[in-house]
Parts: sequence; structure tokens; C-alpha cells
Amino acid sequence: MADYKEAPLASRPKTLDPAEYFNLSPEYRRAEEERAAIRARLKRQYQMQLNNPLRKELIEDPALTRWTYARVHVLPNFKATPKTSLLGGLFGVFPLFALYFLFSSDRNKKEQQIKDGTYQRPYRLSY
Amino acid sequence: MRLSRALTTNTEGREGASRVAPLLSSGVSKGSLPGPYPQTPEERAAAAKKYNLRLEDYQPYPDDGKGYGDYPMLPNRSQQERDPWYSWDHPDLRRNWGESMHWDFDMYTRNRVDTSPSPVDWSTMSKTLLGYLGFMLLMFGLGEVFPMYQPVMPKQYPYNDLYLERGGDPEKQPKPVKHYEI
Repeated sequence: MADYKEAPLASRPKTLDPAEYFNLSPEYRRAEEERAAIRARLKRQYQMQLNNPLRKELIEDPALTRWTYARVHVLPNFKATPKTSLLGGLFGVFPLFALYFLFSSDRNKKEQQIKDGTYQRPYRLSY
Repeated sequence: MRLSRALTTNTEGREGASRVAPLLSSGVSKGSLPGPYPQTPEERAAAAKKYNLRLEDYQPYPDDGKGYGDYPMLPNRSQQERDPWYSWDHPDLRRNWGESMHWDFDMYTRNRVDTSPSPVDWSTMSKTLLGYLGFMLLMFGLGEVFPMYQPVMPKQYPYNDLYLERGGDPEKQPKPVKHYEI
């Protein structure tokens, strides 16, 4: 297990993480303290709202609002760079024309076969 | 249409456009929604504060026009990985109130994509699976090319291959069929 390698869908288990054993510097501890302070502030805000006996409405989560807003408003931050143009062309423009030509040529071939009388129908048209 | 513009009542320069009412009544102030990519350090600090992250932890997506804006790039880890015994505000989502959500949060819920550590590492797992599948495919393919079964013959019928049962003329004498050799 000492040669466990990480992958995008398989993270390193906590017991094999070297940061667990070696991260005792004051800077790391201060960082952890700051993160805990932020977390505690948010927890307090939530609990005050949750246990408020005079509250009648739902507790709104601004992080959720921000997430939905960000996911919806992608277009204002879109820029036409070479990479985005390439991706747009590859996934949007090319399949459109490619599928059109594929389907139309296949169907024209079948139509020609039916006209010539060489097409074998797999199922009966009527009884 | 930007929400901040809707919250101010300035509609000059938009002749012909009707005044748009604000979408949200209260609780969302002007600077608390996601915005464009932060260019200056002050914008970065303000964005980190907005998303409830430390300035050092705040890392926006690279500004290559894909549309992320100033949304923070959080580690790509699923919710299944988080501590099940900690008292989360939303235990089913393993998330606290107010915590910035990952851009692909709906993908990383516990019902969907999971990045938990695997019992053996990924390369060993893929090699084992693909090796097994490849071996089975190879053997089935070989079985199609070189079939092997008990030797069989067409079925032999008595009475001259059932001449009368098959509608043969009872007056005529059928051809004698011999199924054996002595």
C-alpha cells in the first residue's frame, strides 16, 4: 500500500496522507485557526437563525444563491478566445453539419435502393 | 442583465427598455453576488471575503473566457469524502450553511460522482478489469473462429426417409435409402 497513487476519482486515504504527520508548523496552525474562525462564525449565524423562536420564514443560504447565480450567468463572463472558439466549433458546429451529411447521405442511399427495387424490407409494410 | 443594475433605479441610456423590477426583495446586497474575474488585489480580497474563504485559500478559476468569473476553484472532492461523524448543518449533503459550494456541487453529491480513496490504486484496478475483459473477449473470439463441439450428423429417418409420410405416391416404389454400411 506504500505505493498507492492518487487518481482524479480516487483520493489519497487520510491514513496515508503525509500532511497528517508532518504539518505542525505555526503557519499551518494559524491557517487552520483562521478557517475554524470562519466556520464558527457561519455556524453561529446559522444556529441563531435556526433557533430563533420568532422566525417564521425559511433560512436563506447566500452561498446557494451565489452558486445558482454563478451557474446561470456564465455568458457575461464568456470571452471568445481561440480555445473557447475551438471548443464551440468542435462540439457545436461540427456535429451539426456532420450529422446532417451522415443522415442525409444514408437516407438518400436507402431511397435510391428502394427506387431500384434492391432494398430488402426487414418488416412488412402491411399484411 | 446584471442584478446590481436592477437594484439601482438608473434607467438612463436605455430608451425603449422598460424598467425592470428587482428580482430579489431583501437579503441580497449589491456586492454579494458573483462578479467578473478579480483584477486587482483589493478585488481579490473582497471576493475572498464574499465567498467566506481566507485570502490565501481563495483561488479563482483561470481567466480564459470559459465563464467562471470570480467563482472560487475549490478542490475537486466529492461530498462522500467528508467526515460522516461531524455535525454538519445539512447532514445529507455534508455541508455547512454559508460554505461556498463547488462549481460542480450537484455532480459531487453522495448519490453521484465519488472521489473517495479506492481500496487498491487506480492503475492496478484498471489493469485488472481491462485484463479480465480483454482475456474473456479474446477467448470468446477464438471460440467463434475455432468452434469445438461433439461430432453430429443430420437426423436419419426410417421407411426410406419417411416416403409415405412425406406425401409420396403409394403405388410407386420409392428409392431405397440405406443409412448404414457393412
